[in-house]
Order: sequence, then structure tokens, then C-alpha cells
Amino acid sequence: MNQDNLSKINSYLSFKLGEEEFAAHVGKVLNILEMTRITEVPRAPEYMKGVINLRGTVLPVIDTRIKFGMTPTEYTTNTCIIVLDIEMEGETIQVGALVDAVQAVLEIDKGAIMPPPSIGSKYKSEFIDGVANIDEKFIMILNMDSVFSADELTSMKVKSDETELKESIEEIG
Amino acid sequence: MDNFKKKFIEEATDLLEGLEKALLALEEDPNDVSLIQQVFRVMHTLKGNSSMFGFDLIDAFTHEMETIYDLIRGGKLQVTREILDVTLASVDHLKVLLNEDSINDPMVKANHDNLLGKVAKLISQDKPVEVAKEPKTSKAAAVSVSNEVEHTYYVLFEPVKEIFNNGTNPLYLLDELHANGKALVISHLNRIPKLSEMNPEHCYTYWEAIVVTSEVVNSISDVFIFVEDESNIEIQKIADTNLLKDLSFVADIQNLGRVQRDIGLTAVLKLIDDASRRQNLNVANVIKKEKLNSKDTTISSIRVSSDKLDLLMNLVSELVTTQARLSLFAEQNGIAGLLPIAENVQKLSRQLRDTAFSIVLIPIENMLTRFQRLVRDLSNELGKDVVFVTEGAETELDKTIIESLADPLMHILRNSLDHGIEDNEIRVKRGKPKQGKITLKAFYSGANVMIQISDDGAGIDSAVITEKAIAKGIITADRKLTRREVLDLVFLPGFSTAKQVTDVSGRGVGMDVVKRKIADIRGEVEIDSEPGVGTTITIKLPLTLSIIDGLLVKVDDTHFIIPLSVVDKIFAVEHAKVTSTFNNVVVLDGKQVPFFYFRKEFSLPESSLHWEQVIVVNFEEKSVGLIVDTVVGEYQAVLKPLGKHYKNQDIISGATILGDGTVALVMDTNKIIKTFAQHEAFKIEKIVNE
Repeated sequence: MNQDNLSKINSYLSFKLGEEEFAAHVGKVLNILEMTRITEVPRAPEYMKGVINLRGTVLPVIDTRIKFGMTPTEYTTNTCIIVLDIEMEGETIQVGALVDAVQAVLEIDKGAIMPPPSIGSKYKSEFIDGVANIDEKFIMILNMDSVFSADELTSMKVKSDETELKESIEEIG
Repeated sequence: MDNFKKKFIEEATDLLEGLEKALLALEEDPNDVSLIQQVFRVMHTLKGNSSMFGFDLIDAFTHEMETIYDLIRGGKLQVTREILDVTLASVDHLKVLLNEDSINDPMVKANHDNLLGKVAKLISQDKPVEVAKEPKTSKAAAVSVSNEVEHTYYVLFEPVKEIFNNGTNPLYLLDELHANGKALVISHLNRIPKLSEMNPEHCYTYWEAIVVTSEVVNSISDVFIFVEDESNIEIQKIADTNLLKDLSFVADIQNLGRVQRDIGLTAVLKLIDDASRRQNLNVANVIKKEKLNSKDTTISSIRVSSDKLDLLMNLVSELVTTQARLSLFAEQNGIAGLLPIAENVQKLSRQLRDTAFSIVLIPIENMLTRFQRLVRDLSNELGKDVVFVTEGAETELDKTIIESLADPLMHILRNSLDHGIEDNEIRVKRGKPKQGKITLKAFYSGANVMIQISDDGAGIDSAVITEKAIAKGIITADRKLTRREVLDLVFLPGFSTAKQVTDVSGRGVGMDVVKRKIADIRGEVEIDSEPGVGTTITIKLPLTLSIIDGLLVKVDDTHFIIPLSVVDKIFAVEHAKVTSTFNNVVVLDGKQVPFFYFRKEFSLPESSLHWEQVIVVNFEEKSVGLIVDTVVGEYQAVLKPLGKHYKNQDIISGATILGDGTVALVMDTNKIIKTFAQHEAFKIEKIVNE
């Protein structure tokens, strides 16, 4: 499937980090793996969890929670690795994203996606493609390319003040 | 058609490379007849191929060049520096012409016309050169040359049956034979079978001919240059006179042709004998000059696309990985009979791996021509007299390594020529031979290949470097550096020691780029220099990039691979001994060995094991111990990249997948030791400061 066809599809995979819900366009998702043993690479940044064997190739795994400024992932039966296609420095590479739980595949119309809040958001706007309101819940639609190709996680977070986020969501609502 | 053109370009590139090499060799030994022949042959093939594929410009251009070498071959011209300069420039130009659109570029067009002019000038020179060459020959001899002595040759042309498949029309070849002079051709039709048995695509006819020409024998054999490999061709000089003038001889031959199935050389010679007895002719001694029958030559090498080789390497890698799983499975399950099979598979896959590797290894000779050329042209340009010597050109390296190595080496050579080798006068003043020397030496050292480039030039003045580094703010003035550290400064970005920026080097890209490019192929580069004596740059490269023999070890829960090539010995030590030392040194075999404790360096919890293993590895000609929990065994590791996200973790050079599907990390021990040492030094410094 080429990029044009992919962008016409309105399906998103939603997943959870802690209590917050996020979504990624299905065109980016290759695979969902159960949690497996991760080989840690010494002296790597904390969010780089390590590498796993994905059918003979070595796949780097990123702890998405740390990337988003949360505490490191604690492994439960729901913990999953989402295998993603990421555009990085002009190349398509694969990376595994460690998430707390995978929720569902959602159909979200383009019209139902609101632009990311320009002020007061906890996350830098370049990482967010939009916000969708599904069943009275706000789901943040992520730009996976920018989230997982960025070297530093600190850039993810502009302000950590939770109240400001709530305010901004109320504004949108 | 595009496919054919691609093939042609590929072949032509090879031919041009071969041509360049032959030309450079010819420069060393201008009188080597076989080299002149080789140059001519390559040009001729190129000409033929290019006209066949519609590269008319190349065809026409090569034709002119070929004329020069034909004159040389005929002794009418002599190889001169000027000729070689023009030819080499032409070779470069031809490379450009391979891109069909290039001629539309006015620059290329100008160069094209310019070169054609030069070539034409060289060709027109043939007369005066001849005079200059043989000024002492008597007038009579000179006259006889210009009168053109005619010789008679016997030619047998027995084409291979399938000759039509190549699109060759044998009659055209016979026409060409006629063009050389006079020819009497007798065709033999006796091998033509009955119509019912005849294959219309086969050639059943063969020919014999008596050719009279004033040209050299080559002009006859050149007629058959494209068919000589498959066809049976015999060319022999039978007389130094024009036998066809002897009418009775002609009649005899024609008679023989009618009566006998084929005349054969012996019969012709007998006829000549008779004729000479009759006519008292001067019969040349028949020397078997050329018998070109190469049906028995076997193909010793084939051309394979590199895609196929990459695929082969991938498959071998997969096989090695699968074999590791089989071995593990056999060991764990203890099924009778499976273990020996697993061992056999291991042995075979190892052999297969080695063979597959040797296929992608190519001798570095392949890139040396380029460098020879570079040194030649640059030294001319700079007005320096420099000889380029190569040693160990047969040393083989992975083709991908060779590809990535050309640029850095080019840069190093440029540096040596531009900054290393002094001007002629300065060299003489310093009591050195006027001719500078650059040596490229390649040799094996363990699992590595070393390439050393040394010059006998000015060397590197550490004072100048230090001064410059201070000026650029790279180091502070009060820092005392060892000579080694000073030399290593040239590898830092933005460091170019050239006093002024020249066309040749010092364009801002410096040794840092060289170092980075070599690091990309897991190589290392080192510089050594003595002021006034010269500079040596040593590049250390891995033999291959994809599979290494390693030692599988375990630290905490993680498996690591240490390349076997650096492992010297393994000792067991008591845990208490290594944790209680103050200065990180253990005594092994009566020698003090500094060590690093992986658990500590990787901030892992302390081990509960009583015994631990010290792997003694070679690090810059010293022994260093690395302490791990356990040694699992030897392992063939198929290297896989860790990916862009880990590009900063250079202590791990890759990963490999173990038999049980888990991932093991491949260590780069040199980087690890360097990193740990810095870390230690930093810690010590901190302690001292506090």
C-alpha cells in the first residue's frame, strides 16, 4: 500500500500509557508483540530499553513512558511492544514502542480530529497530530515519526504542570 | 536494449580500467612489446563493442587512438611521455563519454575536440619520429622501408559452426583480408552436409587464403580478432616476396584447391619449395608464428552481479544462525544421533561461510590503478618527482570495504603529495634523493588487514601542530601533550595543517573525515611521523563486515560477544581478589594485567559468583583484562546493526541472534577499553580534585 492510500484510511490504534490514551495511525503500525525478554544495551539512554529479536532482525525497543516523561514501564500481562515504521533521517526504520496496554482500532473521521492545543499542552505540538474526542475521552493522536526519531525525550515535555493540561482540554471541550 | 547498453558500459569501464593499468605499466617500460599489444587489443575491443552498441563517438574516438598504437606497434612511432599523457587524458575522456548525454556539455565537447586534435598531431608525427629513431640506418634501408616489402602469408580460417549466432558474417572478414593487400581465397564446401541434415544456422564452409601484404602480420590477425577465441585460425608467413606474382604458383594452388579437400600448409610449402626451385625464390623460414586455437582454454573466472553475492552472503548468515539453533537444540535434547549431525552441519556451515567470504574478497590491487594515476598526475601538477610503490597488492578485502576505502586513501595520498613530499630543491638541500617516494603497503595481521601509507617527506612538526591547535582553541597553551597525543590532534574536525589552501588538499575536509569514514567500516587509523624523515599512516581494517568468530560470554543476564581475534587468554579469578584490589591490576602468569570489571562499568549489581573469568585481550599491543561472569564458548556471530537509535553506543559494534532466539551484543573491545580508561581517569581526576 502506498502512502496516498494509507493516508485515506481513518483507522487508528489506541494504546495506554498510565491513564492517558494515545493513538497512532495504523499505517505506521506493523505488528503488536507480547512482552518478551529485552536485551539491555549498556550505557544507552534510559528510554532506550534495549533490543529484541524480531524474526531474525535486531529491533530497538523504546520505553514510551520515559519518552513521555513518566516513570519507567512496569511489566504486566498487558504490556506490549508495538512495532512501528518510522521515518528517520530520510530512511524508514523499524522500532519497537513499549506501551502499558493496547486498546483498540478506532475509526476516526478527519473532521473529528481537532488541532492540538497550541498553548498549555504538556507535550510539544510537533509531536501531536491532533486530539480526538471519543466517547467523552480525549485521545491524543501522535506523530510517530517525530516522537520516535527525536534523540532526546526532554524535548517532549514543555511544561509538566498537569493542571494546565486539564485547563486546555476543558477549553477545547 | 537498455540492458545491453548497461552491460556494455560495465564492460567498457572494465576495459578502460585495464587500459589505464597497462598504460601506467607502459610508462615504466616503454619498450615492452606485449604491453603495447595489450593496449592495442583493449582499444580494438572497445572500438568494436562501442560501434556494435551504437556509441559512435567512442567508436570514432577510439579509432583515432588505436591508430597511434598501431603506428607504435609497427615501429613507426615511439612511446613518449607526450603520447602517454594524451592517451591517459583520452581514457578519462572516454569514461565521461560512456554517459551518452555528456557530449552535449560544451566543456566535454571542447575537451573532445581538443583531444582529437592532439591525437591527430601525434599521428602526423610518425615520419619525423622514425627518422629520429633510426638516424644511422643507411639510405638504402630507409628506401626499402618506404618501398614497402611485400610478404606472403598462408591463412586458414575455420570458423566455429555457430559463428552466425554472434552476428558475424565470415565473408566480411574475407573482404577485410582482401583490404590488406592481394589475397587468393579458396573456399572449401566439402563439409556441407546433405540438405536434410543441414542446420541453416550453422556455417559449414571454411577458407584458406594466400595473402600478400606489406602490412605487419598483426594486420592479418586483427581481422579475426573477434572470432579468434572460437574459430580455428592459422596465420603463417610463407615467403618474404609476393608469391602471387608467380602465376604458376597461383595456378598450382587453384588446382590443388579443386582436387584436394583442403590444401593445408604443408602442401602450400611444398608448392613454394617447387616454385622456389624453379624460380630461385627466397623462401622465408617458416616459423610457427601464431597458432590461434583456443578451444582448449577453460573459463577461469566469471562475472557475477554483486546483488547475487549480497544475497548469497545473507543466506549464509541465515544458515549460520539456524545452525546455532540446531546445535543448541541437539545439546539440550540429547537425542542419540542428532549431536553428530549437528556437529557436521556446524562444520559444513563454517566451511561454506569461509568460501562465501572468499568470494566477496577482492585484492586491493583493483583500486591501486586509480592511486597510481593520482600520484602521477598530481606530482606532475605540483612539479614534484614522486614514485609510488605498492607492496602486497594481492591482499584481499571485502568488496564493500574496498569501496568505502578509496576516498580516504585518496585523501591521505593527496596529503602526502602536497604537504609531505618536499619540493625537489628542498629535498636536494636536505640531502635526500631528488625523487620522493610514497609506499602503500598492505598485509594481513591476525583477523585484520593493515594498510600503511608512508612517504619520505618532511614529516609532521609537532610544534606547528601544537601552535595551530592552540590558535584554533582546540587545546590550551598550558597543556603538555605527548607526541602521540599531538599527532592525534590532526584527526580532530576542522584541523588542517596546510599553511595555505591549495587545490590539492586542505579544502577544509581533513583527516577527521578520513577517520570517520574508516570508522564506518569498523577500521582504525593511526598516524606516525618523524620530522624530516617522513610520515606513516596505518589503517587497520576488519577482514569482513558480516560474520565474526567470537567468544560468547555472560555478564549478569546479558550475553556478549568478544571478537576472538583480540582474545589472548582466559583465566579464572576469585571474586574477592578482583573486588579488593585498589589499582585495578591482577597478577596473571606472573604479569601484572590492568583490568576492567564489566559489572562495575555497566552499573550492574555485584556478582554472587565465587569464581569469575578474566578475558585477556590485546589492546594497542598491551594486555588488558576484562572480567565477565562466565564464558559460554566459541560462537560464530552474524553481525546485525543495532540501528540508528544506538548510533552513539560505539562500545557495542552490533548484535547477533543466539540459538535460543535471544540477542547477544558484540563488543568493540578497543572502544570499550578506551571509554573505560577515560572514565577511570576522570574518576581519579575527580578524587584528586576533591
